[in-house]
Amino acid sequence: MANKKMCLGLFTGSVDKLTAAGVILGGAAAMDMQVDIYVLLQGARAFRKDIGDDPAKLQMAENPELKAEFLESLKNLKVKTWVEFFREAKEITDVKIHICGLAGKIWGGEKIEDFIGLADDIVGIGAYITAAQEADVNLFI
Amino acid sequence: MTSEELLTLQVTKTVDARGTACPGPLLEAKKAIGTIRPGDIMEVLSSDEGTIVDLPKWCAKQGHDYLGTLEVSGYFRIFMKKQ
Repeated sequence: MANKKMCLGLFTGSVDKLTAAGVILGGAAAMDMQVDIYVLLQGARAFRKDIGDDPAKLQMAENPELKAEFLESLKNLKVKTWVEFFREAKEITDVKIHICGLAGKIWGGEKIEDFIGLADDIVGIGAYITAAQEADVNLFI
Repeated sequence: MTSEELLTLQVTKTVDARGTACPGPLLEAKKAIGTIRPGDIMEVLSSDEGTIVDLPKWCAKQGHDYLGTLEVSGYFRIFMKKQ
């Protein structure tokens, strides 16, 4: 039986939502799903090489005053960072990470080398729509 | 299986995922199942309450047999047979 496909539109560049995306990605990896992630707008900023896993450069999507408490709890619970979640999922299952070309340019990323090594390529919106049409599960975070 | 039957199982692989939060135990199980043979029994130790719901569902989706869960002092022992 062919693996189920998940398509994730990753708009967010906030550390709490990126962590949620990482947890969901972990579940998809455990289920052997084939995952395509389309990194849009704010998400592309988080994927910049000089930002990535540095929580000081990422904000919270909600309740910004709770950022320190959130990060401390993650640490105490031994929860991986969002980049570690994404990396582990790529090691376990077929995960492709596509950076939206426009989003990349907005944040100064013209080439794939401008982003953390997890990103596979830079694509246009047509690729996202095609993948979304073909997926069994569609998420937008 | 009854608790008594679970205690008599010949476990091939024990995965100690205690102290990790979701989805840690699930991912540890996923990695470990690839290292044993069909018919082998695997046991996952987890202190995460959600794991006792997650792993039976994961087994059903992946085609493995969920055998049961034992609650011991402060953690769970979740048993499955690889298919």
